[in-house]
Amino acid sequence: MADFKYIRPDNLPEALDFLWDNGQDTAIIAGGTDVMIDVKSGKLDKKYLLDISRLDELKGIELNGRDLCVGSGVTLSEIYTSALLASNALALQKSAVNFAARQIRNIATIGGNVAHSSPCGDTVPSLLLHDAIALVADKKGIQHIPMEQMATSAYMSSLTPQQIIVKFILTPYQDGYADFQKIGRRKELAISRMSMAAFVKKDSTGRISFLKLALGACTPVPCSMGAVEAFLTGKVPTRELLWEAGGLLAERMIEITGNRSSTIYKKPAVQGLFMRILFPMVGS
Amino acid sequence: MKSEYNSIGKNIQRRDIVEKLTGQANFCADIALKDALSLKVLRSSRHHAVIDKIDVSDALKIPGVVNVFTAADIPGKNLMGIINKDQPLLAHDKVRSLADPVALVAAQTDEIARQAIKVINVTYTDLEPIFDIEAALAPGAPKIHKKGNTLFTRRIKKGDAGTAFETCHTIIEKKYMTHAVEHNYIEPDAGAGYVDEDGTLVIYASTQNPHYDHKEVQGFLGLKDDQVRIIQAATGGGFGSKLDLNVQGFIGLALYHLKQPVRYVYTREESYLATAKRHPFTIHMKTGADKNGKLKAIHIRAYCNTGAYGSYGIAVASRSAVHGTGPYEIDHVDIECACIYTNQPFCGAMRGFGAPQMAFAHESQMDLLAKKLGMDPMEIRMLNGFKKGSINGTGQQLIDSVGYPECLEKIMPYYEEALTNWVTEKTTPFTKRGIGIGGMWYGIGNTGVQNPSTARIELDQNGRVILYTGCADIGQGSSTILTQVAGEVLGIAPEAIQLVVGDTKFTTNAGATSASRQTYISGNAVKDAAEQLARVLLTEGANKLKVSKTALSFGDHSLQIAGHPERSVAFDWLAKRIHEKGVSLSWQGYFDPETIPLDLETGQGSPYATYAFACHLALVEVDVLTGQVSVKKIVAAHDVGRAIHPENVIGQICGGVAMGVGFALMEAFEFGKTLSMKDYHIPTCADMPEVIPIIVESVEPTGPFGAKGVGEPALIPTAPAILNAVSHALGKRLYSLPADLESVLQASIDSGHFGPEEKM
Repeated sequence: MADFKYIRPDNLPEALDFLWDNGQDTAIIAGGTDVMIDVKSGKLDKKYLLDISRLDELKGIELNGRDLCVGSGVTLSEIYTSALLASNALALQKSAVNFAARQIRNIATIGGNVAHSSPCGDTVPSLLLHDAIALVADKKGIQHIPMEQMATSAYMSSLTPQQIIVKFILTPYQDGYADFQKIGRRKELAISRMSMAAFVKKDSTGRISFLKLALGACTPVPCSMGAVEAFLTGKVPTRELLWEAGGLLAERMIEITGNRSSTIYKKPAVQGLFMRILFPMVGS
Repeated sequence: MKSEYNSIGKNIQRRDIVEKLTGQANFCADIALKDALSLKVLRSSRHHAVIDKIDVSDALKIPGVVNVFTAADIPGKNLMGIINKDQPLLAHDKVRSLADPVALVAAQTDEIARQAIKVINVTYTDLEPIFDIEAALAPGAPKIHKKGNTLFTRRIKKGDAGTAFETCHTIIEKKYMTHAVEHNYIEPDAGAGYVDEDGTLVIYASTQNPHYDHKEVQGFLGLKDDQVRIIQAATGGGFGSKLDLNVQGFIGLALYHLKQPVRYVYTREESYLATAKRHPFTIHMKTGADKNGKLKAIHIRAYCNTGAYGSYGIAVASRSAVHGTGPYEIDHVDIECACIYTNQPFCGAMRGFGAPQMAFAHESQMDLLAKKLGMDPMEIRMLNGFKKGSINGTGQQLIDSVGYPECLEKIMPYYEEALTNWVTEKTTPFTKRGIGIGGMWYGIGNTGVQNPSTARIELDQNGRVILYTGCADIGQGSSTILTQVAGEVLGIAPEAIQLVVGDTKFTTNAGATSASRQTYISGNAVKDAAEQLARVLLTEGANKLKVSKTALSFGDHSLQIAGHPERSVAFDWLAKRIHEKGVSLSWQGYFDPETIPLDLETGQGSPYATYAFACHLALVEVDVLTGQVSVKKIVAAHDVGRAIHPENVIGQICGGVAMGVGFALMEAFEFGKTLSMKDYHIPTCADMPEVIPIIVESVEPTGPFGAKGVGEPALIPTAPAILNAVSHALGKRLYSLPADLESVLQASIDSGHFGPEEKM
């Protein structure tokens, strides 16, 4: 076990105070489902472990006008059971369905999932879908960071050691079609090999009037897929068109990653998963 | 229906269930010995190398390090292995894999021991490493062991396969591959020990075979029988890997030198690295049938990669060869299965000993033949399946308890229903449904070798019955079953029997908890012991009650005149009287199944006294766009002879199915890459299909109350059934296990299912 001092502040200002002085030497723990692995293996080389899991300021899911706010300390189980998210951010809610396993969902937090910056973080594609902005605090003030800028590369967050994510502000989507799906080596407790979130609206003529699409676990940082969105917007989704768009998505992925040994699977699978997610848009 | 038995066939409470459920069971890691030192092994950093020098001086300087041992500190014979002794406890001249132990540290804490192994300096001269079978068999390949790289070859030759193929109407010839698999029991290997007041080394072990451990530890240390005592602690699963000595030898060596309590608890990572795996197989199989689908000839050349040491490799090669025909009668048989050394960490026993790998091949062949001949997969199995009177590949006639046809019959209605209604049902888009059959047979006990069990039953002066057995209950439930057997003979409730299990000071050898043998073999040994005790009780009861022995029956700890419970005599009275007369109240039971060793050239003989049979039906859904496979249902019919504890049988079947799902779809241990459970996927409950267990009881006359075994059979048909179902869904067959995302998606692409339109 790593050797560190455990600190549990009573409120957010106390936590930010502590980080202002000791951020470099501190690891932040929320649910602990990522940090504890490093603790056990002895890889955590910090003096302090700052437990923010009980800070009230990081809790709660609420809709304030056009802002859907999800506290960074909200657990995956809370996301899964939230009626507010089911009606305003269905893809995010779905990303909590098969997230790890139930024991982990009960303590893992959305803030931790984002801050960990794993390419496979299951909540990230849905947050991208909703143009989420992270409200990030340090002792000196508040900063708004768009989701696209939260991670600089795999496992590298753009947060400074003095910062804590307080909440995420999402654009709510009500009437439309939303989905999140992932592929793992088993049905639960498997790191995503691929994940995808989509939100689609069609107009009265059956054309796609609005499309958001985000891909996870395929690129160093999960990303939106503007090219595919642009390709499909204004068109009537048919099997052939969606298949073509899926192919375009796979090309975009390879442009980012280059050809790797895993591309043999991921290229067709991205196309396939896209087809599976968007297929309900055909016809109806 | 009223059973003719009091205990047999009853779902009595399991012996260890309260302790397990309330967390009171003492596993090795829970055994708190005062001032116990921590042990830790330094393992090889080389695949294959000569050890020039081991310098432990820096490690000894670390405060808290008590001592560091190397091969030079082993006073006895530094070799282990239950079948062939080729594995040193600590490497002495060379290392043959990254798992090889080089030095053993004893320190005050785990942390200090971990620090110490980092500063042990070993100087090696590298030798060329060999990882695969082709390289190991290439001319001029470096020899991993002095005798060469082929450890063993089992040959089964019957009739004239070469000529028979010429007359076959249809021949299928394919190559099959399977992966190494980790047992992944919940309790990683562990042990603890101390030196008793009389100098005995007492070792608690998480083990499947305490009496074998006993002999091996004695051998390392050059000690006598009574100077080592092995006690089996509560054991959290084994599946074959706890047949090897994983920590017992290290505990013994440290106790021998230090005379101070020690403990060694593997981390999951060490358990992954240092313990046996399921052998990866390459199987070339050629099967021929006449125009009616009757099997005529089979030709198999199979290779299993045993890694650096034999462990149970010889048994795996031998059993897989015998089982290569599948549960089918074939007149002309030509099988060779070789066990090959490489520099991978060693492989050993795992649930099924090579039969699961072989079943994947023979059941794929059956479906391929059926397809080519335009037959139904069930029909071809019905036509060829073993029945009473059939002769197997080793020339052994199967006389009694051949429940394969009945297993198929029990599956049939589910098969027809699934084929007619389920497969054709409309599903979600891009999902293809398929169903598949997997059949199997499995010889109970070790292959063509004597493998007796013993047991002892004692009646004390208070009329209590005590059963002593060396049979390790590793969670499968043997202790409960053995009390049911003894209780049935003596007419007492199984719960009333006191048990002493797996303690070499008190118990005698029951052989390994492996090969699905304990119910059949140890069950018979216990029955024999109980019957001997029953005989002396009957003699004394007849004396007392003045009737013939045949007029007596057992009641509640008493003998009574049948139909006159008021005329009875209690066990305690009988015990005193028997003792006074100088007759023993302690009786030893013995059973060794009737086998005939296999001929070394032809493999003819009678390798097992009895066989279990099973058939599984798998219902699967394949996502043709991503390669994801979902197993929806497994119907599992098992001929177990007699289910002594039906719930336990069902438990074994469900557990076997889980392991089979893993073997079929996801489990692949990559040497050097798979380090812990984050890299290795076994099914979770979310991956489990609905399981419909069906118990078939084709009574085995030589079994205890007709019982055979089910531990390994439970797993064997699952993967073949799933693979046949995936092939049915896609119209494209997979020849390698596991059928992972990549290979299933590729099969979907190759079969034309991957695309915007759904192919029917």
